[in-house]
Parts: sequence; structure tokens; C-alpha cells
Amino acid sequence: MNSGSAVKFEKVSKRFRTPKGTWYQALANLEFEVEAGQFVALVGPTGCGKSTALTLLAGLEQPSIGKVTVNGQEVHDIDTSTGFVFQHDATFPWMNVYSNIAAGPKFRKVKDHDALVKSWIAKVGLTGFENNYPHQLSGGMKKRVALAQSLINEPSLLLMDEPFSALDVQTRSIMTDELMGLWEQTKSTVLFVTHDLEEAIALADRVIVLTAGPAQVKADFKIDLPRPRKARDIRFTPEFLAIYHKIWNVLRDEVDLAYQRQLIAPSGKK
Amino acid sequence: MAEEYLSDQEIKRRNTTHRIKVHSLQLGFAVLLMGTWQILADKKILDPFFYGRPTGVLHQLKVWVQNGTSIGSLWVNAWVTFYEATYGFFAGVILGIIFGVFLARNKTAAEIFAPYIKVSNSIPRVVLGSIFVLWLGLGSISKVALAFVLVFFPVFFNAFQGTREADNKLISNARLLGASKRDVLRRVIFPSALSWITASMHVSFGFALIGAIVGEFLGAQRGLGLLIATAQGNFNPNGVYAAMVLIAIMALSAEFLITKLEDRLLNWRPTQVSGSEL
Repeated sequence: MNSGSAVKFEKVSKRFRTPKGTWYQALANLEFEVEAGQFVALVGPTGCGKSTALTLLAGLEQPSIGKVTVNGQEVHDIDTSTGFVFQHDATFPWMNVYSNIAAGPKFRKVKDHDALVKSWIAKVGLTGFENNYPHQLSGGMKKRVALAQSLINEPSLLLMDEPFSALDVQTRSIMTDELMGLWEQTKSTVLFVTHDLEEAIALADRVIVLTAGPAQVKADFKIDLPRPRKARDIRFTPEFLAIYHKIWNVLRDEVDLAYQRQLIAPSGKK
Repeated sequence: MAEEYLSDQEIKRRNTTHRIKVHSLQLGFAVLLMGTWQILADKKILDPFFYGRPTGVLHQLKVWVQNGTSIGSLWVNAWVTFYEATYGFFAGVILGIIFGVFLARNKTAAEIFAPYIKVSNSIPRVVLGSIFVLWLGLGSISKVALAFVLVFFPVFFNAFQGTREADNKLISNARLLGASKRDVLRRVIFPSALSWITASMHVSFGFALIGAIVGEFLGAQRGLGLLIATAQGNFNPNGVYAAMVLIAIMALSAEFLITKLEDRLLNWRPTQVSGSEL
């Protein structure tokens, strides 16, 4: 891999001021690269700095030390070629489904975007709900609005921060499959942060395991399961279980470590 | 135990019965209150010279409508108070929103002005009425100014708070979707502050009326405040009450319009919470 990779972290450290005035180290010398078009899952224990890595890529925060590069360009400010799907609802409550999905094209002054918006509404299965407001939708439907809102801009890099963690287990597996279907059409680079190892393996080409915070790369796994995949069925195949065991063995120590730390310092982060 | 669901007609019938019951009890309460007052006044237990009486208030209103008041036509006086309050209200709402949103978005400016705003908010603002009469004279402008000052602060504080409470996630999301600073302000911050702003507008029209009327107490040539002051000077309690009735009608009509406006602006909200239920 060279500087042509879609995403590159070079010795990136990030610290935050806590309300008590001490420093919280979220990332320390984080280094990894992602090839264009890859679907990469970042897994790691709670509070390890996975989400921080995404906010640096989107330009919502700047690294304290080091360099973050997207498509060969160092990230300094919010990058509109990046799509971001947030953990919690970030649809605009005062806009109906249509306006929420049309927000990107409208902000970007894309002319005649009506047909485009309608096609995305159809792609995420919300035809007939154009005039509904987010509070009138179920959790899964809101996620679909968020996905369409982001994907309609054809981001070259899509960042997803535990997008389905607030959904119930069944809706979640349906959404995983739908995301897969949408991604196979666009083939943009995806960085997907999750706690859920099953979800990570089912979706990704590559799973990066991060250490308990401050995050560093602990291990890097290639997922060779054939595509197109059906996330709902694939998790019962022996190949899937073998990979799961392999990654879990690495992840477990970090999860234990993170948990021990929480017990020692209950008033740490959050 | 019920064997069947209630029919729709039955539910409707029960709801109607309940509404009728509530309304007739409300009416009954008013009759009881007014009746007691009337009887006490007729029997001279409450001296009508000081306390007036309901029939006296009605009579006063009739005289004012038919013959005009001692300071001119009733409608002219009501209109003067109404437009003083309305001008003050709109000026206060508009400037309150502009300053509130601006200071909430501009951290340095907020830090600079914070102590001044605290000080000016701690002054009992009605006192400024006297200053305004001195500066701006007995005409309407001094009343508009007082109404403005009373409206400005609550709207300002709510606009400020509403802007501050705008969800950072939504702002980040909008910016990633390509929104300019102006788009963020118009499409994200303003809508999310709007429920705070409309909440302050409910109390604000009342404040605007207070401003107009107190201003007229302090010195005026026309208006319901002057009418009240005149009635007070003539030991005419019925006149004071009659003017109060007119002011109440004005305040309730404004409240009705503001609620309508709020429902339209905030039709995206899950539940319509407003003060109008109380």
C-alpha cells in the first residue's frame, strides 16, 4: 500500500480535556491504512477511541499529533466528500422524510434533484412515507432515512459510528443486510465502528481490532467470506464461526482490560 | 367485566357528555362568583362605592360604547393601547431573536456582554417607563419603548438558550451534508431554537400589554391605561374593571393567534405542548 490509500492514519494521537481539567488520551500513535473500496470494521472495547478515529476522518475534530489523510489529502476541516452515519439519530426532526433526504443535494445546490431524491426514497423502501416526520417513524425507518441522507451525496468515504446499536436485534440484522445491498451498488470505502463482532465479520472485508484506550491497532484480520453475503444466514456457517473464534480470542483480553479499568476508576470517562 | 369493546358512538357520546359537564361547571363557577359579588354589593356588605358591582361594570361598558369615554372614543383608546403593545411586542421579539441567536453563536461577544445583560436584566424594568416618558414624551413612542424592553429580555434569553441547546450532532451532520454557515443557521439552529422562542412569545404579549398600560399610567393622552387612571381618580371602580375586561379580551385574542402560529411553525413536533391548556 502507498499514499494512494483511501484512508491513512500516521502516528495519530488525540487527547481531550476532561471537565475535571485532566487530559483524556483517546488515541496514541494510531497507524493504519485502508484501500479504496474496502469495507473495514473497527472493533474494540467500550471507550477505546473508535469513534474519535471517525471524527478525525470526518474533520469534526483535529488530531493533537500526527496526520490523517483521506484520498491523499490531509484532513483539516469538515470534508463534504465524506458521509457520516451517527450512532444516535441525526435526522432533522423539523424536516419530513423527503426534505431530510434532499438536504444534501439542496445544500450542495444540485439542480433538479427531485428524481434523485425519489429514487433514494425508493431504494431505502420509504416510498409513501415522504411526508412523515422522523418522530412518526420507527427506529429502523429513521436509520434508513439517515443512510439515504448520507449515500445520496455519493460519498467516497462512508463513516458509520455504531449506526445500528440503538436498534433491536431483529431490526438490526435486517438493516445489516440492507446496508450490504446498498454498499454493493456504490462500493465506496466504508469504515464501520461497532462493538458487535458478529456484525463486523458479517459486513466487512477486513476487521481491525483496537486495544483498550488509548487505541492502537492490536490485530488486523482479512475476512474471506464470499459475497454477496446474507448477514442473517452467514453467521451459522462453520467458516464464520472459525473467524469469530480467532478474532474473539484477540479481542477478549482488551475487553477484560477495559472492564477492569472501569471497576478501578468508575468516574473515568463519561 | 366488559364483554365487548365500547362502540365508537358510545365513546363519542361519553366524550361529549364530559365536555358539556366541564363547560357548564365553568359557567356555573362564573355565575357563582359574579352572583356573590353582586349580592354582597347590593346588600352593602361590600361597599359598591369602593368595590363596584358586576351590573355596574356592564353599565359602564355600555356607556363607553354608546357615548364614548371622558377621554374620547372607547375604540380609539383601545386601539392606541393595542398598537403600542403590538409594536413593542414585534420589536422585542425580532430584536430578541437576533441578539439571542447572535450572542449564542458568538462566544467572545457573549463573554463580553454577559455582565451587562445580567445587570440590565436585574433592573426592575417598569421603572424605565418614567425615563422613557421623560425622553420620548407623552405620546405612544414611550409606551412602545417600555413594551419593547419588557418583551425583549424573555425572548432574548429563550432565543439564546434555544440556540445553545441546538444539537451538535445535527450541526455536524448538516455541515457534512454540505451546508454553508448560513444554511446551518437557517435550517438547523433556527428551527431547533424555535420551540424555545415561541414559548417565550406566549408570556411576551402579556408583558407588552403591561408595558403599554403602565406607560399610560405614567403619563399619556390616550389609551386604556389612562382610562384606568382616570377611573381610579374619579373613584369609579366599575371603570377600572371595565377596562380590565377589554384588556383581557385583547390578551386572549393575541394568545389565540400566537398558539395558531406556533402550531403552524412547529407542526413537526410529536406533541403540541403549549400554555393554552391552562
